[in-house]
Amino acid sequence: MKLEEATAYTEKCFHGEPASCSYVCPFHLDIRSFMARAAEGKWSRAYKQLREATVFPYIVSVLCEQPCRTRCQRTLLGDEAIAMRDVEAACVRYVKNKKPQSYAIPPKKERIAVVGAGIAGLSCALNLAQKKFNVTVFEKEDTWGGVLRSHARFAEFDEEIKLQFSAVKVDFRFNAEITSLEELAEYDAVYVATGADGEAFGLLDSWNAELFSTAENKVFLGGMLTGASLMESIAQGIAASKIIEGYLQTGKAALTPDMYYGKECCGRYLDHEGAVSKPLVVASSPDGYTEEEAKQEAARCLQCDCDKCMAACEMLKRFKKTPKMIAVEVFADTQNNPPFSTRSLTRQAYSCNICGYCKSICPENVDIGSLLQLSRRVRMNDGVHPAALHDFWLREMDFATSEASYTAAPRGKDSCEYVFFPGCQLGASNPEYVLKTYAYLEQKYSCGVMLACCGAPAYWAGDDKRMADNLQRIRQGWEKLGKPVFIFACATCESLFAQFLPEIRRISLYELLAEDESIIPARPFAEAAVFDPCNARGDAKMMQGVRKLAEKAGVAVEELKEKNRCCGHGGHIRVANPSLFEEIAHNRTAASEKPYIVYCVNCREVFSLRGKEAVHILDMAFATGNSDKLPTLAEKRDNSLEVKKKLMAGIEGKDFAPEKHAWDDLVLLIDDETQKEMEQKLISAGDLKEAIWLAETSGRKFVDENDGMCLASMAKPVITYWVQYREVKPKTYQVHSAYYHRIRIREEE
Amino acid sequence: MTDKERKWKCGKCQKELVPQKVIFTYLGHTFSHDVPSCPECGQVYISKELAEGRIAELEEELEDK
Repeated sequence: MKLEEATAYTEKCFHGEPASCSYVCPFHLDIRSFMARAAEGKWSRAYKQLREATVFPYIVSVLCEQPCRTRCQRTLLGDEAIAMRDVEAACVRYVKNKKPQSYAIPPKKERIAVVGAGIAGLSCALNLAQKKFNVTVFEKEDTWGGVLRSHARFAEFDEEIKLQFSAVKVDFRFNAEITSLEELAEYDAVYVATGADGEAFGLLDSWNAELFSTAENKVFLGGMLTGASLMESIAQGIAASKIIEGYLQTGKAALTPDMYYGKECCGRYLDHEGAVSKPLVVASSPDGYTEEEAKQEAARCLQCDCDKCMAACEMLKRFKKTPKMIAVEVFADTQNNPPFSTRSLTRQAYSCNICGYCKSICPENVDIGSLLQLSRRVRMNDGVHPAALHDFWLREMDFATSEASYTAAPRGKDSCEYVFFPGCQLGASNPEYVLKTYAYLEQKYSCGVMLACCGAPAYWAGDDKRMADNLQRIRQGWEKLGKPVFIFACATCESLFAQFLPEIRRISLYELLAEDESIIPARPFAEAAVFDPCNARGDAKMMQGVRKLAEKAGVAVEELKEKNRCCGHGGHIRVANPSLFEEIAHNRTAASEKPYIVYCVNCREVFSLRGKEAVHILDMAFATGNSDKLPTLAEKRDNSLEVKKKLMAGIEGKDFAPEKHAWDDLVLLIDDETQKEMEQKLISAGDLKEAIWLAETSGRKFVDENDGMCLASMAKPVITYWVQYREVKPKTYQVHSAYYHRIRIREEE
Repeated sequence: MTDKERKWKCGKCQKELVPQKVIFTYLGHTFSHDVPSCPECGQVYISKELAEGRIAELEEELEDK
């Protein structure tokens, strides 16, 4: 993988970029962090930042025209912009130590002449002197300051200049007018800043406004001489010092990347949802803010930075990485050679619901889910994926696409106009969902049925091969049925078809049901919130269909503030990150106090298990029974086979006989607590039956002779299951506990 | 009766278990540890406590590598 393949996903993310105010600041001061420091009264750190950016913080705090205030996003809330200069002035006033730092760097041999001791020349000279260049300033007057000398507060500015030059060595030559550049032939570089209408030595026409360079190789121009304002003159002097430094090192004038944003406006204003209006802090004294007032004013800064995804997504919050950091790690992880280096992203890659919520709220549509899905795919293709994290669902997918799969045209037909695709979990959750729906569809339309899997487990595991094989099977079935329109009951199935099988026409079951006047759904609640599954996002017809049905039933529908959020099931993160799964499931359960109407069986299971009243829209439409009890993992498989058996009998008059295993006849007695634990650990009673049968037929088990307790293990390709049990009567066993591990015991291999 | 109080014997060999060096592998890593096993056939006993405690921690560590 190339770095660009990963970073392309987050290229448009602008988290961490300068705020709108910084773009327009002549010094490109990071105003956001300056204000954050000021708000905490960290004057020393705030002053250091101001000094580094502006060189003369006191002068700037008095004279800056504050263009930042024209771009302050506080004004979007109807408030006055942050009083930047007043906070700067407070910072300069309340900082304890203003003494400039002397840097321990070796002196340089190059000599630089600065012509003009106005503010532009001084700022350039000061910066170069700090870098230990030999700087000589030529000034035709008898002192420094240029136009500032006519200012009423020049005495204060004079003190500031003295202070800032107190830690450097600069050769000031006053009353020394330069009339020709030939006088400066011995210098390695020259900065001409002779003020408005000053001497330009005929170089103004060739002046490059970005690089300050001229037709004369070593001569640079800046300040009011070039038409700049006072503040721009200081900023130019600072920028020119960096360009001159580069020129002395390389012989070429070039932009340094840290100083140039390339544009005056970021064009990215945030919506500041939830931000509260706060009036400008007015100083209680004519001398300016008290320390407390300055802190309060600085605290009004909105700290404009986009962190929408990181604020909304539990996963991003937990891992505390910015989108761009994640992209670099997705790439970096592919460069490691196990076992010598560390993969830093594995847990996060498998903790993402891939629900698309981040993308939906991102102003630039950055999709972290797709990026982490890429990471899963790369790992799977490289054979370095932690298989145990998705093994359970891939086994379920294999079951749904083999033994439990069934494709048929309607009774007596070879082809059909529609085919019902319930998805693997609908019938597993409750056979009636599929059977009643198909009975309805078959009566109304030329409609066949396809019991299969859309491939979500493979997609979420990053298993390209399984995904492709499954798509091929679906495509073949579709063609065999005469390319019918697919009717979906599951939003995940429909969204994966839209992505991977766009040639197949699709319609939502709920849209069809909503259009049918004869369907009067049951009314389980007077009021309810519709919980839209994450994968229904953007599918307005599906979402509307469910609402119409709910309204037809007479339910007053509440809209959730955040729609199409993942219930926790998405991306199959449960094994990789159980506590995160729990946190997400809890948050969604608590998103409304009202009961939920859902149209995804996975959502329903998540909510029901947490005691939340949740009714599937099909329960309402077809008055299906038995919807309160959630089936166990083993019952889900049985339900899927029952659906197939009944449909096959109804459509073809054939009797479906599921594959018979030697252990099917065993009876397991499992108490509620053990069963609950098994469900949580995704241990199916079917696997335990097989383990017990293997142990009993081979004798390979452990026995406690005191009470006849047995312990057996069974190593499946990825997981090793253990079961502690006791025979109650022939072929009947009481299960006492079940657990598993992922590591392999060498003898198992 | 807790797991620790149990006297497991190998169901096949009827031998009491003794700690033996067992080799484990996971995600390309190999390591060994003393675990109760049958002295005759080598059948390895992993208790629930071990599987859900130290082994689970180790698995997570190796998955994060």
